[in-house]
Amino acid sequence: MPHALLIKFPGTNCDLETARALEAAGFSAEVLPVALLEPASLDNAQLVVFSGGFSYGDYVMSGRISQLITKHKLGDRLKTFVANGGYVLGICNGFQILTQLDLLPRGSLIHNTTGRFICRWAPLKKNGNTSPFLKALPDHFELPVAHAEGRFVGESGDAEQYVKDGHAALLYGKDINGSSAQIAGLQDDTGRVFGLMPHPERFIAKNTHYDPDWNGADFGWGYYLFKGVAEALAA
Amino acid sequence: MSQAVFRTIPVRDLIADQLLDLSKKMKLSLSRADMLVVQEIFQNEGRDPTDVELEVIAQTWSEHCKHRIFNAKIHHTLNGQEEVVDSLFKTYIRSVTEQIMRDKPDFVLSAFVDNAGFVKLDEDKAVCLKVETHNHPSAIEPYAGANTGLGGVIRDILGAGKGSKPVASIDVFCFGPPDTKQEDLKAKDVIHPLGVMRGVVRGVRDYGNRMGIPTVNGAIQFDDTFIYNPLVFCGTAGIIPIKDIAKEVKPGHLLIAAGGRTGKDGLKGATFSSAELTTDSHEEDQTAVQIGNPIEEKKVGDFVLAAREAGLIEFITDCGAGGFSSAAGEMLSEVGGEVWLENCPLKEPGLESWQVFISESQERMVMAIEEHNLPALQKIADTYQSEMFVLAKADGLKRLKVWHHGSVVCDLPVDKLHGAPRREMRAKWSQAVASEPQVAVRPESWTQVLKTLLGDFAIVSREPIIREYDHEVQGNTVLKPLAGASGDAPQDGSVIKVDGSNQLVALSCALLPEWGKADPFAMGRACVDECVRQLVAMGANPTRIAILDNFCVGNPDNEKELGALVECTKGLAESALAYGAPFVSGKDSFYNYFITDEGPVSIPVTLLVSGFGVIEDAQHVIGSSLRRVGSKICILGETTPGLRGSVFAKYTQSAGLNGVPTWSDETNWANYEKYHALVKQGAILATHDLSEGGLAVALAEMAFSGKAGLKIELENMPASKQCTLAEILFGETPGRLLMEVAPEHVAAVKAAGGIVIGETTGERWLHITNRSSTVIDLAIADLKTIWQNGLTPFY
Repeated sequence: MPHALLIKFPGTNCDLETARALEAAGFSAEVLPVALLEPASLDNAQLVVFSGGFSYGDYVMSGRISQLITKHKLGDRLKTFVANGGYVLGICNGFQILTQLDLLPRGSLIHNTTGRFICRWAPLKKNGNTSPFLKALPDHFELPVAHAEGRFVGESGDAEQYVKDGHAALLYGKDINGSSAQIAGLQDDTGRVFGLMPHPERFIAKNTHYDPDWNGADFGWGYYLFKGVAEALAA
Repeated sequence: MSQAVFRTIPVRDLIADQLLDLSKKMKLSLSRADMLVVQEIFQNEGRDPTDVELEVIAQTWSEHCKHRIFNAKIHHTLNGQEEVVDSLFKTYIRSVTEQIMRDKPDFVLSAFVDNAGFVKLDEDKAVCLKVETHNHPSAIEPYAGANTGLGGVIRDILGAGKGSKPVASIDVFCFGPPDTKQEDLKAKDVIHPLGVMRGVVRGVRDYGNRMGIPTVNGAIQFDDTFIYNPLVFCGTAGIIPIKDIAKEVKPGHLLIAAGGRTGKDGLKGATFSSAELTTDSHEEDQTAVQIGNPIEEKKVGDFVLAAREAGLIEFITDCGAGGFSSAAGEMLSEVGGEVWLENCPLKEPGLESWQVFISESQERMVMAIEEHNLPALQKIADTYQSEMFVLAKADGLKRLKVWHHGSVVCDLPVDKLHGAPRREMRAKWSQAVASEPQVAVRPESWTQVLKTLLGDFAIVSREPIIREYDHEVQGNTVLKPLAGASGDAPQDGSVIKVDGSNQLVALSCALLPEWGKADPFAMGRACVDECVRQLVAMGANPTRIAILDNFCVGNPDNEKELGALVECTKGLAESALAYGAPFVSGKDSFYNYFITDEGPVSIPVTLLVSGFGVIEDAQHVIGSSLRRVGSKICILGETTPGLRGSVFAKYTQSAGLNGVPTWSDETNWANYEKYHALVKQGAILATHDLSEGGLAVALAEMAFSGKAGLKIELENMPASKQCTLAEILFGETPGRLLMEVAPEHVAAVKAAGGIVIGETTGERWLHITNRSSTVIDLAIADLKTIWQNGLTPFY
């Protein structure tokens, strides 16, 4: 059974449902408060997860303090973890942290164009089929989003380039937050590091869809995201 | 080297007037009678009090902490007949619950003894709900007031039992109308309703979202009477293992405070909320409003839940109004103990002893543990990065003895501290008899009336606000506040799953302040009915519903306002008993009035009934949105005359003359049981309760899912003979459920008393006829646009 390590910062608040989702998809999951984090914590893990929430309140740039603490505690351990075949997933606040940790193509997640927090379901589409995280999902699906800072911006031309070269593995089906090129998720060159703003862990059971007659698959779409990684690890 | 800063205040030789002056000067909010009792305590002690002691007594005896009006002896006159109410709480709240607990053993596990009452969910889990108000702080500082209002009630849940896990929040607001003209505000420094609304919503958003607790349910009322004194109700539901509900402080236990540091924010909040607001409040009482820090609370919350799971907590409560004096005072109220204020980490140096002891700085919890568990507890605190320290030790000597840097700053017998004298009050209510029960209103266009109502602030979509709340975090929100095929149609409440249980929890709330202006007794009954009905509509078992009563009242010293409260409480109790819905907690808030340039403006007596019900199977969850073309539309419950209090009445002055609708609790209850049997059979596709705006609005709202249109014929609508067309279309008689039923289940629904009034169609059109002549005829999309955009210009 693959093992997932979920790093929990003060203010991380989606860790329990993410652990639950991972377990449903066949992982053993361990939530680790950051006070206990050390380089050796990663030794038994095949997947490291940065869950959603408001780490340290996100009062300065979202994910900034978590990035500093993680760097301080782990040094290059996360990079060697990935280089050695490990997988890293960042969801929402976790994606914000990953963009700062230098594990994803450069760019930032800033305030939505409306300036407001937004909690709704978003249509999504896969861009290419290289991400193991999205392998088990159809080209079009939907997931809930809930964020105030989910608008991806990069330097001029970066976003379009990421769409072209496949780094932007996940796109919104319509404009949700003003994200450049409607980018919803990014991966690194290996595809093993993936960050996304939508919350797959909130759509595991069918009955958490807003439409009681939803019947797109046997489980909610989020299940297939975690399942995809489990299958990639098993292969 | 720090030292205690306190002073001795001579009271033993003062006469009554001087005592009252002292109370006013120190802002103690204690009456003349109270001060005489205080004097007696210190005459018996043979010394004068310290300022710490006077502040502790003032906080402990405040209306906010002791609910002295609900426990008062009230001489009440109803329509000229005198009666004595020997405690509203005992007579109408506790006795009703005790009766229901006898009738339904093994449902309510505890009530009125803890931060929140508990109801059994399954064999090993219980669910609790608590709702608090934060009105005065939100009036003078909307963002911080609402922020800490939600933060406070979340701590109530963390401090319920040995620590419950918060799983959902409810937020209910009463504001002045958003389109109020600035020049119509009749007092300096009052914040415009728009400013209040935006601040309050953002305050709730920033606390709830950061805590990771889904805000799933709520309501907003807009009325002129709430301009000066808005109402902000914040509620949170929690889950706990049944074995962790019972708690006790024993001599030898250490009291550990954990969480945020203590500062000068939130001084005298309990007494501030126990007096009226004035323009000066906006200047002088800023320090009474606390400053929220949700991440601090998230840390202490994670710490508490981990410590409870490790079995380290013997007792826990939150630091709310009155701060440590109230938390430690309550925990030591039976056994007594010693408190050491110098152990307390401060936000800033230089706090006087009384400030440390009564500060309402946020994000603090106090727990009792066995002394030998201190290292284990410290380890968990370190893991979650929450600060903790030893605040006190229970000693069994039955005195509250407080040390600060080697000086005793407070030393009071616990029985005297908790022995607030009882109040006697006068109340009066005259119930007007409806003079003209039948009012014929014939507008030029019923379609236009429906459009007007869908754009009324009481009915328009709350979507701009709902989307700012994370209502999906924790991943358990099954029925969302906005749902249906396009995810944006209104529901009767929300339903959440519970981890580790196959039982679900439905949450809903009801408040009808407009009814209370005319008939507070009927308002009390109708609020219970609406709350219960929404829970039943969503699929809750009608026999497994518990409710909460939250009252907000203007000036309790005004006989008429107190009289309205008495009548409202009677109505509430009557229906709660009829439905077997126990009160598991509640709260009251008085002095909700403001002294404007033109005199005092009081809120109408406002009752919020919030509740939760157990849904026994995920298959029983029923939403309010149409799902199929070709279904039948059926209704349960009869429509009766009476438009008073309705949204429709706002637009037709003459309609306001007749009374509120009448109904029988027994008939409604029988219908709810029949309805639930239909739900269990799988006969119901969707259900919407009829409330604001009546049948026509409910039909339109069901069709907002976008799945189907509606063809309705009113001829068969079950209604008393005297009902006018206005009453049938827009009346708000309680007890009615509007259902979408697949054709194959129509016979079962009819057998249960349901009447078919129409069907769903492939055209996205609302077409209502009365004896074949068209009454309302409009595209659903046009109606939805009005409804969806009503609030967007203001928020």
